[in-house]
Amino acid sequence: MRGVLGAFRELDAAVSAIEALKKGKLGAIHVFTPTPRHELEHVLDPGPSPVRKYTLIGGLCGVTFGYWIAIWTSDYWPLVVGGKPIASWVPYTIFGFEVMVLIGALSTVAGLFINARIPRLTMMVGYDPRFSHGDYGIWVECPPDKARTAEDLLREHGAVEVRLER
Amino acid sequence: MSTEQEASPIPGTAANGVKRREFLKVLGVGTAATTMLGCASEKVEKLIPYLVSPDQTVPGVSTYYATTCRECSVACGLIAETRDGRTIKLEGNPDHPVNRGALCARGQASLQGLYNPDRYRGPMVRRNGQLQSLTWDEALQIFAQKLGETRSRGAASAVFINQHESGSFPGFLDAWLAGFGMPAHLSYDAGADHAAIAANRQSYGVAWPRLDFRAARLVVSIGADFLDGWGAMVPQQLDFADARADHERAPRLIYVGPRRSLTGLNADQWIDCRPGSEMSIVRMLGGQLTSQQASQATGVAATVLDGFAREFAATKPSMVLAGGGGADGLEVALAANALNQSQGNVGVTIKPNEGYLGFDRMASPAELRALAERMNSGGVSLLMVRGANPAFTLPKSAGFAAAMAKVPFKVSFSSYPDETSEMADLVLPDHHSLEQWGDAEPVRGTISLQQPTMDPVFDTRATSDVLIAAAKKDPGSAARYPMADYRSWLISRFPGGAAGLAAALPRGIASGSLGEPTTARPVPPVRAATPIEQSSGNMYLVVYSHPFIGDGRGANKPWLQEIPDPVTKICWQTVAEMNPVTAEKMGLANGDLVAVQTSAGSLTLPVLRYPGTQRDTVAIATGRGHTHAGRYAKAGFNPLEILPVAEDRAGGVAFVSTKASVSKAGGYAQIVTTEGSARQHGRGIGQAIAIADLRAGRPGEDPGASHVAEAPQQSGSEQGAGEPAEEMPGDAPHQFLPGLRSPVANDAQGEQGDPKSKDKGMYDPNHWSGMAKRRWAMTVDLARCTGCAACVSACYAENNIPTVGADWQTGKVLPDRTGFGANILRSREMAWIRIERYYEGGEDGGADFDARFVPMMCQHCGNAPCEPVCPVYATYHSPDGLNVQVYNRCVGTRYCSNNCPYKVRYFNWFGYGEPARPQYAFPEPLNWQLNPDVTVRGKGVMEKCTFCVQRIREAENRATAEKRVLKPDEFTTACAASCPSRAIVFGDAADENWTVTQLAKDARAYHVFEELNTFTAVVYLKKVNHPTPAAAGTA
Amino acid sequence: MATLSQPLPARDEPRRPNIATADIQLPAVRDYEQVDREIVGTLHPTVAWFIGLGIAVMFLLIGIAAWMYQIYSGLGVAGYNPPVMWGVYIISFVFWVGIGHAGTLISAILYLFRAGFRTTIYRCAEAMTVFAVMTAGLFPVLHLGRPWKFFWLIPYPNWRYIWPQFKSPLVWDVFAILTYLTVSSTFLYIGLIPDIAVLRDRENISPIRKRIFSVLSLGWRNTDREWRHFARAYLFLAAFSTPLVLSVHSVVSFDFAMALTPGWHTTIFPPYFVAGAIFSGIGMVFTIIIPLRKFFGLKHYVTINHLDAAAKLCLFTSLVVGCAYMTEWFVAWFSGNEFEQSFFANRIWGQWWWASAILYTCNMVLPLSLFSQRLRRNASWLFILSFTVNIGMWFERFVIVVPSLSHEFEPWQWTSYRPTWVDYAILAGSFGWFSMWFMLFIKQLPIIAIAEVKEIIRPKLRIQHAHGMTPAGEHFDFEPETPGEHD
Repeated sequence: MRGVLGAFRELDAAVSAIEALKKGKLGAIHVFTPTPRHELEHVLDPGPSPVRKYTLIGGLCGVTFGYWIAIWTSDYWPLVVGGKPIASWVPYTIFGFEVMVLIGALSTVAGLFINARIPRLTMMVGYDPRFSHGDYGIWVECPPDKARTAEDLLREHGAVEVRLER
Repeated sequence: MSTEQEASPIPGTAANGVKRREFLKVLGVGTAATTMLGCASEKVEKLIPYLVSPDQTVPGVSTYYATTCRECSVACGLIAETRDGRTIKLEGNPDHPVNRGALCARGQASLQGLYNPDRYRGPMVRRNGQLQSLTWDEALQIFAQKLGETRSRGAASAVFINQHESGSFPGFLDAWLAGFGMPAHLSYDAGADHAAIAANRQSYGVAWPRLDFRAARLVVSIGADFLDGWGAMVPQQLDFADARADHERAPRLIYVGPRRSLTGLNADQWIDCRPGSEMSIVRMLGGQLTSQQASQATGVAATVLDGFAREFAATKPSMVLAGGGGADGLEVALAANALNQSQGNVGVTIKPNEGYLGFDRMASPAELRALAERMNSGGVSLLMVRGANPAFTLPKSAGFAAAMAKVPFKVSFSSYPDETSEMADLVLPDHHSLEQWGDAEPVRGTISLQQPTMDPVFDTRATSDVLIAAAKKDPGSAARYPMADYRSWLISRFPGGAAGLAAALPRGIASGSLGEPTTARPVPPVRAATPIEQSSGNMYLVVYSHPFIGDGRGANKPWLQEIPDPVTKICWQTVAEMNPVTAEKMGLANGDLVAVQTSAGSLTLPVLRYPGTQRDTVAIATGRGHTHAGRYAKAGFNPLEILPVAEDRAGGVAFVSTKASVSKAGGYAQIVTTEGSARQHGRGIGQAIAIADLRAGRPGEDPGASHVAEAPQQSGSEQGAGEPAEEMPGDAPHQFLPGLRSPVANDAQGEQGDPKSKDKGMYDPNHWSGMAKRRWAMTVDLARCTGCAACVSACYAENNIPTVGADWQTGKVLPDRTGFGANILRSREMAWIRIERYYEGGEDGGADFDARFVPMMCQHCGNAPCEPVCPVYATYHSPDGLNVQVYNRCVGTRYCSNNCPYKVRYFNWFGYGEPARPQYAFPEPLNWQLNPDVTVRGKGVMEKCTFCVQRIREAENRATAEKRVLKPDEFTTACAASCPSRAIVFGDAADENWTVTQLAKDARAYHVFEELNTFTAVVYLKKVNHPTPAAAGTA
Repeated sequence: MATLSQPLPARDEPRRPNIATADIQLPAVRDYEQVDREIVGTLHPTVAWFIGLGIAVMFLLIGIAAWMYQIYSGLGVAGYNPPVMWGVYIISFVFWVGIGHAGTLISAILYLFRAGFRTTIYRCAEAMTVFAVMTAGLFPVLHLGRPWKFFWLIPYPNWRYIWPQFKSPLVWDVFAILTYLTVSSTFLYIGLIPDIAVLRDRENISPIRKRIFSVLSLGWRNTDREWRHFARAYLFLAAFSTPLVLSVHSVVSFDFAMALTPGWHTTIFPPYFVAGAIFSGIGMVFTIIIPLRKFFGLKHYVTINHLDAAAKLCLFTSLVVGCAYMTEWFVAWFSGNEFEQSFFANRIWGQWWWASAILYTCNMVLPLSLFSQRLRRNASWLFILSFTVNIGMWFERFVIVVPSLSHEFEPWQWTSYRPTWVDYAILAGSFGWFSMWFMLFIKQLPIIAIAEVKEIIRPKLRIQHAHGMTPAGEHFDFEPETPGEHD
């Protein structure tokens, strides 16, 4: 895993650097930022996150299971209480709903973990604690021959520090 | 073990609530010799107390013995259910001429006498001031030796006091005494109304005639509480209820007296005369007084008395009964009897020739008072007491206890410790009546047999056998007592001898007579009371006998302490009852302490505002406040401590003979009552209909109208058609049959349930069990119910219901509430069936109020609100219509109780069934009484009335075993079985042939809170009111 | 204009009437480093904190002792007085569940509504939610007659095929509460991950803490990819939590509404309970956040504007609740139902007048003071008010539970209710339990969402403007800003 890492103090510097790097087609770009900034999102502009699918599927499974457990157990051993129907679906909606929320939420989290590749045991090379502090980091994944160009680009856009990782 | 030989059970395992047919079955059957073994206290630890089980004793199957109840002098017939050698339940003997299958609360509680934890364990002798136990041989030695000494020193100075009873024992005892040259014994019953007895002898020639209420059109009770234990209570209640059930011909009951007792609350009219002024009422009825004169004497409005007199003159046949224990009791009773004679009631409504013999040859309290004086002067060298407790039941001012202390040697044959026996030098504890042989003669020509139903609980001996043994030791009388024991003596005199006895035992009765003809005893010079008006005080003091605890005999039985007094609903406590108006004037709220002072002493006790008290009267119940009668009897106070000794001409204690000065004592003691609100706020729980409306087929007091907010004003009953029905949203149309059945059926057949659900299991009427074809239901006829609470005690006995009111059951854990009844104060009583006593009218504290008694138990709703809220199916609906409670599934959320409109679910707040705990409700050997068919509920679970499901299943199983279907009315619940008013009927409402089905069709039928659409299985039949003619339709 | 290092003193905060909740700014927070420094700075335990924790634990122990005594002797040691079969425990259960609603409301609903004032208070509220629900969850168990059988309410496979009775509102509770607890704690943790990463990187004192933080941060690296999915997931969690919040207290209200007891059997309970819950929740938020912002010196994060905005929410919910009370009275009168009417008479003028008086004063009358902006922006008044709100809401539940049961259909069974020391001890214990967790939380994890604060403050730019403040806009441009009214 090799590439060039640039650390930026200012947001606009980082943004312009990214634009330049993208133009230069130097390789995959990863950005470290203490907080999500729309500016970065716009310049990187990734596709929609697939987490939504996990949520939908989880929710559907949940609602089905919720209704099923209530109705099946009632019918399995029919006991009349208060002259109510053995399996009364109206109140069982509560179980449908609650279990939907439960499974849906948990699968959303699963979606997050899977897509964001967490939990992970090791820090990726190039990460620096300052990126959770105040600085922005740009990590360009590129072969050594292109590394030089990337380095220059980063510097000229105002990187306070540029590191060559290999 | 001699006494236990050949105790003869009813062969076979008869049904609960044993029915005539079982007896017909067994009549001819000769009895097999049984030996009841092995449940003496040292053996009870065994799971099944038999190694080789004797004949007819199958583990887990009940054996039934016919015997006789000895709780009062009447001697009702009993069927004792015995399981594995322990008697667990008493029922009335259906064949018995006196109680005809019914049994009162005191009779039910006799079991707690048998298993009373405070009973004497064995013989005891007083050594250096302490009672110490010894062997029977030693004890008998001492006894025989004392008898010898007494004889040598003049046997005339010996006195034997026996708890009054009929039958052959009194004769046997007198013969025995005569053998030692001792005078005949004193047969003492503190509970009896000696004035009435004497008057009856004088007027009718019998001690107690049969009162045929059915023949009467008008009953005038002058303080005669024939429903609270005045005379032959159970038969009187049976007759009265029957009479009232026949609405058209039912007699009106007018109660005259300063305090409205249970009888008074069942009356249609109350004449609240001043204490001691009853005579003038009688004279007015007899025409010797004008209503104005009577009005002045009694303080009752002349108009009322006028109407009363006119009605009495116009109505025949009638019945005038006089009791009330006034100082002029005898005169009043005689005058009342004279009225009966002049009205031609004798032989019509009052039947001397069918009289009860239980009240013959009674020694009057005057005799015991005289005895006390003799003892004081040292005229008594040997005192023997059996059962009776004169030291407690005589007014303290009679000084019996003090005098008794002067007697050199005192022998007690009492089974329990009490104030008298605690002073004895020698205690030779008697068997309980359920442990020994005996007989009674309740009515002329009928022998009611008494046989041991189980092995003695403790090392006691039947007094009769002790007497024989003592006689054998005495050279003088040994010759006259060749027989081994009392039983063989009985057989020797029994018509037909051993065979005859054996044949008679299964039924428990035989024709013939064992006791010798008796005569009235001479009355010693009585100590007449000073005229009540001349005694000092601001209020009249009325001391009355507690309906359950009576003269104090019931005080050591937790059931009788815990079951609230049917009138005041007080338990575990003695209160001073005052009219609300008077209390208001004196600034007394419920529970304020007052000092009640008489010439004899003073008592400080809490006030209870009871509208049934005459305005110048303070009323106190006897029976509580024991000092030496065991752990349960300590509760309350004893009014006899402040009652000046005074007697009526017949020698009876004059309970109403003095005024008392009542003053606020300061301080407060919370009233221990189960009553929430005494008014039903027009909610139509206890409904009533005036007889006129019933005749005219009018709805009468309208349940719908009774739900509008301003309903409380209507005293309902008296007021004809009432206003038009107010339809409430969700009002259900009357749905008795098939409405009674429908909810369950609907669930099963899917009309309310889920039509598509394929497997309805046992709810399917076509299921092989056929359970869904039945609908267990109950009717309660409020026109019959007198509120006597016999059903409650029966339920306690049948269903192992714990009593929770003893002080140690909360003292340790509820620091803020201690003392007797602390749990009751938090309304934690467990009675599965309770009698709600509601007042109607008389908000102004006037005499014109009406009481309604509503037995309230689980209504087993078709659509039970308690069921759907239980998170764990601990309560659900059985296919045969029961609302089932599964104790060991219950986690104790108590949601079911919150959702129960009838509030008939009870929670186990403590481990009442855990011996290690202070709350333990069944201290050894009370736990021997527990019904093995019913669980003792654990801590933290909900419980409630089950419609005696154990009896239902037993009957069903029996039917299945005999390859037949259930016969209609084949069995019934414990409450219905014992009800002396026959107000409760239980059965299968889905089957036309059961009585309950027919009763539910009655025009008076209604459900409580019908508008809640709970489809209850309990149908109440409206009370029928017989308003005062003058005031009919108004009031 | 203050320097970047010095936070502005509170009195210098702009007094802008009726500031729109969406654009509440943090004028005194200048840059990312300051955020880290100041918030991470709050995490170092102090003596006062240890004392507070000690007191909390002491109360907890009292509660535990009382409960053990109750389990041993039986439920009778509590002041139950049949037919009042529910008492302090169920009241406290509803009370704590109610408290537990503000958190998710603020973090989820206000997130969806883009209400800016949530940013700095939501972490606190969310933690409060989780701990409050943890507390509430205890009560249904310890009010059981046989608490050791509580698991029978949970549908677990067993060979007898005995399942819970799904028609019972209590089983609905089990599902609602457990779901709510799971989801809200997940929500809390997810939001915490980036902040834990910050702590991991800032922690330089204790290697153990550093280790723990690195584990908890799940190796979070602040990459654009992580942030992207994070934002999505967060949005969906919020979307789930929003109806969940509303459903949970509705379900709790079913415990009462489904019964036919007068005073319980009414259809307005769900909205009424939800409003009440939020009301009490906000109250508790004030109780907690106002001292915290003082002691942790975070007044420039949780500004008076934030409190103002929250106070408006409090006022609104109080009005909703008040409206519900009046509806109840009206319906009782209008229904013509004798049971209902006599019950309400007894509740308001009868034996329970004092409880109702407390309730109406605390929940309807006092909150009206929030119409005054001066009081709304007075932290100490809000603090006092928050207490009366909490008391009022506890008594609201008391008035719902006890008087209804003590005055039902059956006059013969009309009773009263008096708790014993056991009830009080266990109630105190629940507060101990709650505060213990909260105490532990505030010194281990940031009570203000670092990443989100960074999100709304102005990023460092190459071109610095004369007057610095730029509202964090959707779009970033290099044009000079018109000066805000902040300074």
